[in-house]
Amino acid sequence: MATSKSDMKGFFKQKKKSGGITKAKAKSSSTKKSLSPKRSATYGSDITQPAALISHGFPDIENDYDEKEEVLRQFDMNMAYGPCLGMSRLARWERAKSLGMNPPEDIGHLLKAGKVGAECLWEGRV
Amino acid sequence: METEDSSSENGLLHRKQALYSSLDSCFVIQKEMYRGQQYSQIYFARLHLMRTLLYSLLPNWKPHIQVCTVIGLEEGKECIIVGTLYKHMKLKPSILEEYSKERSATPLVRPHNFMHPDDHLILEDESGRIKVCGDVLLPSVYVTGVVVALHGKETGTGDFWVEDVMEGGLPHQIERPIKSGEDKYVIFVSGLDIGSSTSNPLKFQLLVDHITGHLGDKKEQSIAAKIVRVIIAGNSVEIPRGLLNGQNLGSKDQFTLFEPIKELDIQLTQIAAGIPVDIMPGPNDPANFSLPQQPLHRCLFPSSSAYNTFRSCPNPHLFQLDDVSLLGTSGQNIDDLEKYSDANDKLEFLERTLRWRHVAPTAPNTLGCYPFTDRDPFFVETCPHVYFVGNQEKYETRLIKGAEGQIVRLICIPRFSETGVAVVLNLRNLDCHALSFGTEFS
Repeated sequence: MATSKSDMKGFFKQKKKSGGITKAKAKSSSTKKSLSPKRSATYGSDITQPAALISHGFPDIENDYDEKEEVLRQFDMNMAYGPCLGMSRLARWERAKSLGMNPPEDIGHLLKAGKVGAECLWEGRV
Repeated sequence: METEDSSSENGLLHRKQALYSSLDSCFVIQKEMYRGQQYSQIYFARLHLMRTLLYSLLPNWKPHIQVCTVIGLEEGKECIIVGTLYKHMKLKPSILEEYSKERSATPLVRPHNFMHPDDHLILEDESGRIKVCGDVLLPSVYVTGVVVALHGKETGTGDFWVEDVMEGGLPHQIERPIKSGEDKYVIFVSGLDIGSSTSNPLKFQLLVDHITGHLGDKKEQSIAAKIVRVIIAGNSVEIPRGLLNGQNLGSKDQFTLFEPIKELDIQLTQIAAGIPVDIMPGPNDPANFSLPQQPLHRCLFPSSSAYNTFRSCPNPHLFQLDDVSLLGTSGQNIDDLEKYSDANDKLEFLERTLRWRHVAPTAPNTLGCYPFTDRDPFFVETCPHVYFVGNQEKYETRLIKGAEGQIVRLICIPRFSETGVAVVLNLRNLDCHALSFGTEFS
């Protein structure tokens, strides 16, 4: 993507962006923490980021997510319940229930208990 | 209950009444919050609702053919697929064309109908999409957004050759109890266009006088006494939009802007004082743009909203009078179908939307629509007895029959400002006739 810096240094140097905004690599999908978009400069990157590229941000930290989040991610990915973007996970579960798709009850309990991520992985990032 | 000639002891005529219940809760936006979602959610809800319905109808149609998803198609194997149709149209206006083509090359006058012989249909479900070919599914009849079941097989070129198609069909209709009853009339009018140069205030005043019984002799008044409700189906005002040029309006301009609505309010007060009236928003009314249009706000009608007979309704509007269920719109859905498909008359478009079980299949593709996440409110659950559309060129009506014995009266309500015609429906036997008002001396 073309840089939108307005200073001349950025214009002349034409540096190739590396380690900055990169496409998410498939294998590193396990490094996610639910950061708000303002804070995450990149995701899925293995390369340590130069601090200068993160303004008001936090470097990505490898974060373990538990099996509850894994279960919820599988629920997000399940095509039978429709697209996961644009709805909170609980709303999507409620919709699946009201349309008669019989989503697993334990996911409903997990979401209502409230200690898990309310939104799907890509919410706010796409 | 009144006797047939409606004259009581002291010579007063009493107006008939009908039991009214509004079923508009699915069209009114109450708890929805826009969280930046896209239209994929409403398409998913629509596909799921229709697919469940079509799967239940498959055993009666072709019980021995296997159902599969688009991605599970095998070449040459006969099967049934269910999905949403997408019509690829060459002439369909696209916002990207403004950027890709030179300004001078695009024609300034757009055709009103965007059909082209090269249009083709594509069937899509969650797993994939496939181009549809064959003579059974005509691209001129179908539009984007219709969910159908197709029986056929995949060809060598990767297209799907259709042998047969199944739509949802007319939904189940709640039977009306057959009783002789008495004549009760409902008046439908649309396209009043108050404030426009074509509207004649005298014609509308004649209509109001006829409805409220100020016109004619005893016989005429006794007919008017049988009118139980007035439905105004959209485009009641024409705001002088030329005044809105992005700058602040002076007080004189503000006055001119509001003049048509004030006049409408005065007329509606005359009607509401004597008879229940429902007013629906239309494409030119001061309501929101996308369907379902929300009811016109009470503050626009300060004097008529004081009456409990005045009711502001959404567009589309679903309600029940005695045991007759009526569903209708102000015309945006049928006008959009006219731009993207072909039919012999408007009633055929109406019938198609009912057979597709969806009031506005082109929403949200070419018709503005609210991005619902959990439901599709335009899905028709039960078959109405009367299905109307407002703001059409001329008055047309037909009675259609369904496979299970459903009977539906289809009505096209003409624009009153141009034709001076209102439609009268008899609730007892669903007969329809036109009521026309003229102001020229012959």
